[in-house]
Amino acid sequence: MNPPGRADVASVTDDLRAFLASATGRDELLRIPPGTALFGTEVGLDSLTGTLLLREIQRRFGVDVAGEDLNLDSLATLGTLAAFVAQRARPEGHP
Amino acid sequence: MNPTSWRGSVPFSSTVPQCETAVPGNARPSRNAVPPGDTADVWWFDTRAVAVTPAGLAGLDRGERSRAEAFLFPADRRRYQAAHMMLRQVLAGYTGAAPGQLALGREPCPRCGAAGRPVLRPGPGARPVPSFSLAHSGDLVVIAVAGHPVGVDVEQDADRCVCSLVPALHPADAAWVAGLGERERHQAIITCWVRAEAVLKRTGQGIGHGLGGFPVRPGRSAPLRVSDCTVRQLAAPPGYRAALALGGGEVTAPVWVRVCGHSGLL
Repeated sequence: MNPPGRADVASVTDDLRAFLASATGRDELLRIPPGTALFGTEVGLDSLTGTLLLREIQRRFGVDVAGEDLNLDSLATLGTLAAFVAQRARPEGHP
Repeated sequence: MNPTSWRGSVPFSSTVPQCETAVPGNARPSRNAVPPGDTADVWWFDTRAVAVTPAGLAGLDRGERSRAEAFLFPADRRRYQAAHMMLRQVLAGYTGAAPGQLALGREPCPRCGAAGRPVLRPGPGARPVPSFSLAHSGDLVVIAVAGHPVGVDVEQDADRCVCSLVPALHPADAAWVAGLGERERHQAIITCWVRAEAVLKRTGQGIGHGLGGFPVRPGRSAPLRVSDCTVRQLAAPPGYRAALALGGGEVTAPVWVRVCGHSGLL
């Protein structure tokens, strides 16, 4: 059984949307559904934006997605990434 | 459709590609010949100036169409369609085949075997098939064409802090950018990024395997030897940074570039 999540998935999802919209200057990314594939073609994120997103997740939630999810299954969609981050979130500044 | 006809439909600087640098032994490159070993053709386009027509869309293959359909936002879909229509038209100019008859595929990533470097498969004709690389940033598309595997990348200049990317860089480059003022540091980080990504795109090694395995020395403006290729900064439109990597057994620095594409971009 999985331990209870340490952060709220919905709020992490909103945080990720807000970061992407800010990093790309594209307000429409505030509205992407959880099932959106971030790194496929659905929203056309480039690798630089993707890397900025993963660095921001590490800074804000203390989660090293690339280091902790070796198969990178969590990167499938916005929702899977938010769930992965929410479950492993550590307080900011305390990696 | 051949390149001459679409050159007339969008604003091009001239009918002959302009040379950014002199091409050794030949000041006027012949159009549509696959560039010689140490040369790459670099085509710049603004996707907003490209008409996405039913005829152009009909030239995309099933994979390109399904990718296009997968986009959530129409603007992204249009940019992708325009970029791939132009890619096919550019490549058709080198092979003599119609854009819709070109067989595009992917080579496996040399590290993990996943889909890697996009390639043009040889057609029924005997003409040599060029290597290519496509990159886009915003509405800008750059396509590099060469006789050897080539990689190109373009990014917009940072308009916000990108220092969180520093840990992804090679330690020598990370140390170098750390000594810069804030604005210069952000520019240097983007310079590192486009150079490293160009090198990785040349071999088709996914960026997920890391891009800090080799230094790209952002303080250096001359072409740089990186493992078995040469990477050089490209003259990019204002607000953008771009780099090109070209290799192959007999290629030695410097890499020569012939610039082609829309007028007004460079």
